[in-house]
Amino acid sequence: MSSVSQELKDTSVASSKWLDAHYDPVANLYTFSSCIALSDLHGDGENKLVVGDLGTGVCNMKLKVYRGTGLLSESTLLDLPTGMVSFLMDLHEPRTPAIAVASGPFIYVYKNLRPYFKFTLPSLEVNPLEQDVWSQAKEDMIDPMTLKEMLEGLRDKAEIPLSVRSLRFLMLEPQEMENFVLLHKEQPIRRQTVITCIGTLKKNMADEDAVSCLVIGTENGDVYILDPEAFTILYKMSLPSTPTLMDVTGQFDVEFRITVACRNGNIYILRRDSPKPKYCIELSSHPVGLVRIGKNVVVGCSHEALHGYTQKGKKLWTAYLPAPVTTMALMDLPTRGFQAVLVGLANCEVHMYRDKNLVSTIKTPDVVTSICFGRYGREDGTLIMTTKGGGLIVKILKRTAVFEDRDSAPGPPIAQSIRLNVPKKTKLYVDQTLRERENAVAMHRAFQMDLSRLRLAAARAYVKALESSLTPMSASLTEPLKMNAVVQGLGPSFKLTLNIQNTAACRPVMNLAISFLYDENLYSMKTAFFKIPLLVPGLNYPIDTFVECLSDKGISDIIKVFVLREGKSAPLLTAHINMPVSEGLALN
Amino acid sequence: MADDAMKTDVQLPVATDLKKPRPKKAPELPILERRNWLIHLHYIRKDYETCKAIIKEQLHETQGMCEYAVYVQALIMRLEGKIQQSLELFQSCAILNPKSSDNLKQVARSLFLLGKHKAAIEVYNEAARLNQKDWEISHNLGVCYIYTKDFRSAEEQLNLALQLNKHDLTYMMLGKIHLLQGDTEKATDVYKSAVEFSPENTELLTTLGLLYMQLGKYQKAFEHLGNALTYDPNNFKAILAAGSMMQTHGDYDVAMNKYRVAAYSVPESPPLWNNIGMCFFGKKKYVAAISCLKRANYLSPFDWKILYNLGLVHLTMQQYASAFHFLSAAVNLRPRMSELYMLLAVALTNLDDADNARRSYEQAVQLDESNLLVNLNFAVFLYNQGDKKAALLQFQEMERKVNSQVDSNINTEFDPELVEMAQKLGAALQAGENLYWSKPGKDSKTSQRSSSGKPSSSQQPLGTNQALGQAMSSAAGYSKSMQITAEPEADVSSAPSPPTVDPGEPEPEDEDEVEETAEPDKLKEKSKPKAVAE
Repeated sequence: MSSVSQELKDTSVASSKWLDAHYDPVANLYTFSSCIALSDLHGDGENKLVVGDLGTGVCNMKLKVYRGTGLLSESTLLDLPTGMVSFLMDLHEPRTPAIAVASGPFIYVYKNLRPYFKFTLPSLEVNPLEQDVWSQAKEDMIDPMTLKEMLEGLRDKAEIPLSVRSLRFLMLEPQEMENFVLLHKEQPIRRQTVITCIGTLKKNMADEDAVSCLVIGTENGDVYILDPEAFTILYKMSLPSTPTLMDVTGQFDVEFRITVACRNGNIYILRRDSPKPKYCIELSSHPVGLVRIGKNVVVGCSHEALHGYTQKGKKLWTAYLPAPVTTMALMDLPTRGFQAVLVGLANCEVHMYRDKNLVSTIKTPDVVTSICFGRYGREDGTLIMTTKGGGLIVKILKRTAVFEDRDSAPGPPIAQSIRLNVPKKTKLYVDQTLRERENAVAMHRAFQMDLSRLRLAAARAYVKALESSLTPMSASLTEPLKMNAVVQGLGPSFKLTLNIQNTAACRPVMNLAISFLYDENLYSMKTAFFKIPLLVPGLNYPIDTFVECLSDKGISDIIKVFVLREGKSAPLLTAHINMPVSEGLALN
Repeated sequence: MADDAMKTDVQLPVATDLKKPRPKKAPELPILERRNWLIHLHYIRKDYETCKAIIKEQLHETQGMCEYAVYVQALIMRLEGKIQQSLELFQSCAILNPKSSDNLKQVARSLFLLGKHKAAIEVYNEAARLNQKDWEISHNLGVCYIYTKDFRSAEEQLNLALQLNKHDLTYMMLGKIHLLQGDTEKATDVYKSAVEFSPENTELLTTLGLLYMQLGKYQKAFEHLGNALTYDPNNFKAILAAGSMMQTHGDYDVAMNKYRVAAYSVPESPPLWNNIGMCFFGKKKYVAAISCLKRANYLSPFDWKILYNLGLVHLTMQQYASAFHFLSAAVNLRPRMSELYMLLAVALTNLDDADNARRSYEQAVQLDESNLLVNLNFAVFLYNQGDKKAALLQFQEMERKVNSQVDSNINTEFDPELVEMAQKLGAALQAGENLYWSKPGKDSKTSQRSSSGKPSSSQQPLGTNQALGQAMSSAAGYSKSMQITAEPEADVSSAPSPPTVDPGEPEPEDEDEVEETAEPDKLKEKSKPKAVAE
């Protein structure tokens, strides 16, 4: 209820704050916030939308450029784009930014949408022993089987992991090995890692159009800062885990701060002059989004919470979200001095937070997977979102929109005004209440009397059953027996099966007999009295006899079964069998 | 349309892939980790279907050698409840990369979830050798030790975890250990520091509030519960606990407001409906009270507190026969509580069953330790039966309790109605007896008289005052006397013949009584959610 009414309120508010500029539900975009950028690619003062599209996730990767509502150009990418940034790499006029697309171990730099440069990550150190083994193989000094054994030995002990080639070789079937070695032995061994995130860092000026360095994080936990013109590595830092999200601030030549969210659930803060992380924030769940707002870091976690931290790693606040976070982005309106965090949620909403206050909510037709806010075309406050289904949404912030700087969540919960569902009582109930008030004593006595009677009747029945050994278990301690009887057949002859069991722990029971008592006009039995064998404890003895029904009038009677012990007149067990009507005769 | 386009596109690159590398000498081997980032991205966004598809493809490409893909697949399987399978996958991860403490941690976690705590401890210890300073290992080790009942090691590990890094979860566990060992003081300390570290965690706040309530520190309890409700107005436990405290102060409307929120989120909670019922009772809406209590009883038929309250309400409604049934059911469930026997005796007295009433009173007196009402009610009953000697004995026993309470300063203010009743009975049992009572009695009586104006006046503001901090502070003082008063009233109604009883009075008295008896019940109910929380 509360969420419904809140939604109504928020959508009406939201619709007054945003203009729906464009919605293409079949734009066929599969991308993340890290692969979206707004950039003035042609230096004509009009910002284009650049999207690194992951295609199907396997192939058909594209670099797409949108202008206005239309696709301006698209060029094929060789591999999945991990991240994409637009940056100014030199001071040449006209100042057109370059696009850097990170994919695999490479960064492809595009200028004017044409391939300009390809940067390859430096390869990692290769195990010298591995190198040795392969060079021996190259000279044909060892056969593939020996090579395999040696590599296996290396894999299990070595400090430095094996290269892809060796690992792939170890997976091969023996007959394929020879070819593989022949094919690969001439090539030098390389061990490569891949880029996992990318960012930019101003070189030496804080201006909007200053030259920027590229900052990249790699799978093996390194962070590199690259020179914008020569693409040499200016600085290298290492992290304890693989970086996933990155935020960079400052200037390379002065002072900078890199906030990195890692795959182990920690956030590390790196600073100039320290190759190791300066501060560490340990989260209790994985970070999904990381946004720096002013001097604070806002982290969206996978357990549906948004945390605020200072840049030294001190926790400031926590806000709980109604659904898992899908993506996050900064909303920065420098002209109005307004900054907020946009959080895309799995329940098809985008929440806008200022500190821990929910300022506004945007409903979207699908789950948003990437958000980008900035200048698009010539409009400053544009919100670009792509959805899980591949849609593209463009919204423009109204110039009249005002965001109140406090929590828009309502004060008391809505449920407080819902009436309690108190069960109603009928007039009859009230009447009975009055009756009880007047006649409480009589009612109580009558009840007590009946209760006593009931107890008496129950006790009597019980005693009677005990006396006539009618219970299914015998009460005697020396012969603990259990019996039940089954009648089979339609008549006139029936099969009577008595299941007798000795329930004693270890003592057998002997000298027992069974006798039947019945109306001789109605039934006849061949033997109405017989002995039963020794009963071994725990076993079930089915004893069959046959009964013939003599009457053809469709009547039935009770047959009584007694289990007797030799020399005792009182039965150990009694069973009354209600015989069924003999249908065989009745049908005739 | 889109699909078609995609398909043709799909074929093209594959074809080029095949053609290009062949003529060249050695094909570039794909890097094993090349799609780890994509797997991770989908995993943390909880898009498990896509994630599984990518993992499958990646594992196919690398023939199962991609450690991270196997790792995430195992994580997803564990989330899907296939713990045994996930354990096997984590173990294969640990084989692929035996130097990673993460893999061992996950193996241990799966073992823990399978209930193999000892095996989990071993693996965690192994992981700890690889990574000394990991709070997670220490924390989980502590939790494993809790399950193996090795509380000392558990405490050690959890403290170690707190030294490495502070997490709310570790505090919760540490507090739980102390509670399991019955050390409420230490648990309170742990929760206090936890609340200092994380002041907005409603679970910690509620737990601490309930602990304070158990210790009788009502003001502090209310403070923390109030904080919890500020951060999360829908916190069921906090609502129930805070509501019951408001009820104790006669703030029925505010309490009802809170209960409405709770009833929306948890509509089938027996303690909640019991408290709502007693709220109605406090507001003299007896039929509604019975409805709610009967619902509570329906939801939890073996809860003696609900039966006790039902008995009480029916006594008030003069439905003595029904009251007898509820009370006798309660006695059967909880055979060692004197108040229950006393109420049963009151019901029996009204049902003209003097013999059983007397027996019930005797049982109540035998079990009772400090409740004046039991003796007073018994004395009134005996007096009405004409057994003045026995009545006198009970009266003296009551005086003894009064004196000991006054001496030890447990309770110096007595309910005016109780005192009045005692005065009347004292007079009826003659002056000699009166002397015994009169000394403490007059003191208490005068204090009562003077205070009788006070409590009502102070009580009223409490009821209306919504800044409950104040109310709570006075609550602690009043709760005892209030309970006492409740019972004398029951007496009055049960013994119609005492010379001094006005027929008009019992009703207001009843109400008071009801409220007061309701209070202990509510407190107990509150303690229930606590147990759940722990």
